[in-house]
Amino acid sequence: MKEKHIHVLSIILALFYTVFIAWLYWAEPRTLEEVSTKAQTTIENVTTKTQVAIGTYEIDRTKFAEGLDAFRKDNFIVARDNFVKADPEKRDARTQFYIAYSYYRQGWGRISNDDALFKQGLEETNRLIALDKNFKSDDANLQIKTPVELKNELEQGLQITADDFNPLKVLRERK
Amino acid sequence: MSKVQSPKSKIEEDISGELSIIDGELLEVSDGEEVAIEQKNKLSIENKGQRTKDSAQISNRQSTILNYLFLPFIFLTVALLGGLRLGAQTSDFLFLKPPLVCLIFATVLLILFFRANLIRFEGWFSENFSTLKNVANATVLLTLFAASTQVFNALLPESGLPFWVIAFCFFWTLWNNLFAEFETKKLLKSLGGLFGLAFVVKYLLLANLTAPASESWWQGIFQNPTKEAFTYLLDLPRFAVGTGYIQFFTLIFYLIGLFLVPPVLSEEK
Repeated sequence: MKEKHIHVLSIILALFYTVFIAWLYWAEPRTLEEVSTKAQTTIENVTTKTQVAIGTYEIDRTKFAEGLDAFRKDNFIVARDNFVKADPEKRDARTQFYIAYSYYRQGWGRISNDDALFKQGLEETNRLIALDKNFKSDDANLQIKTPVELKNELEQGLQITADDFNPLKVLRERK
Repeated sequence: MSKVQSPKSKIEEDISGELSIIDGELLEVSDGEEVAIEQKNKLSIENKGQRTKDSAQISNRQSTILNYLFLPFIFLTVALLGGLRLGAQTSDFLFLKPPLVCLIFATVLLILFFRANLIRFEGWFSENFSTLKNVANATVLLTLFAASTQVFNALLPESGLPFWVIAFCFFWTLWNNLFAEFETKKLLKSLGGLFGLAFVVKYLLLANLTAPASESWWQGIFQNPTKEAFTYLLDLPRFAVGTGYIQFFTLIFYLIGLFLVPPVLSEEK
C-alpha cells in the first residue's frame, strides 16, 4: 500500500468514526438495542430530508388512506397518528388540513368545546395557512373547506361570548 | 587478463633448444576466481543495500500505518469513551457532551504540546508536503484535540463544587506549564501525574462519597446518612461502578496515544 493510499484511508476512516461518535452523542442511545433503533430512525429522517431537498418528497399514500378511514370513523387519535406518519415533514397541505380538522372534530362538544384540543387545532391551522393559504379541500364530507374557515371556527370555539349561554346552542351540528 | 605464455618466452625457449617446444595456440584466460569474487562482493553490497532499502521501506510503511491509522483510531476511541457514563440503577449509557471549559483546556494542552516539542509544527505541516499529506496530518491533529477534550470531560466532575475546584486546579497547572520550559518526557510525565491524580479524586474519592441509588429519599437518608449528605452538598452525580473502569481505560489509551505521537510526522523530501 502506497503512502498516499494510507493518507486517503486515514482521512476517510477518521471522518466515518467522527460522524459515528457525533451521532452517538446526538442520538444518545441508552442501550445497545437502542443503537440500531435510533440508527434506523436517523436513516429514515435523512432519507426524507434528502427527498425534500431534491424535490422528490411524497406522502405515504397507504398511511394517508388509513388515516382518512379512521377520520371518517371518528377515531381521531388513530387518524392523526397515521396522518403524521404519512407526512413526517409536514409539507402536504391536504394531510395537514385533516390533522387540524381532526382536532376540531375531536374537541367539538354540544355543550362546551375542549379548549386544549381547539388550541392545538388552531396551531396546526396557522401552520397550514403558512404552508398554503389558498388550499381548498375537495372532500364532500367536510363542511369546512378552507383553512381560514377552520381557523375562524376554532377561534370562535375558544372565545366565551353571551351566545355560549344560549340553550338552543345544543341543537347546533358539528361541521 | 593475463597471458599464460608470451611470444617472447617461446622465442627464448626455441633459442635455448634444450627445452621442449610446446606448440599451441596462444590463449587468453580470464582470471575467473577474481572476477567471481569481485562480482560476489558487488552483488553482496547490492543485496545488502537492497535489504537495507527494503527494511527501511517496511519500517517507513509501518510507521505510516501507526501514525495515520492507529493513532487516529486510538484518539477517536478516547473521544468516544471520554463522555460515556453508565447510569446508577439500570447501567444505561449516558453520553455527556463536553462543557466549554474542556475545549479551552484542550486548546491550552495542544499549545503546550507544541511548546514542549512533543509536536513540531514544521514536521507536521509544510508547503513542501502535498495537500493530501497536510490534510492527513491535520486529521491526526484534530483527533488528538478531540481526545484531549474528552479526557478533560472524563476527568472533570459533572457538576457542583467539585467541578469548579478541579477545573480550577487543571487551569492553574496548565497555565503554569504554559510558561515553563519543558522537555517532551517531562511533559508526558507531568501530564500522566496530573491526569492520574484527577482520576483518583473523581473515580475513587468522590465516587466513594456518593451515596448509592436507593428506592426513596428517606431510605437513602436512613441507610447512608453521611454519603447522602455529601451527595446533596457536593451535588455528586450517581453513576454505576463500571464508569470508573471505562474511564480508566480511556485514560490509559490517551496516554499510550500521546506516547506514540511522533514530533515529526512526515519528513521533508
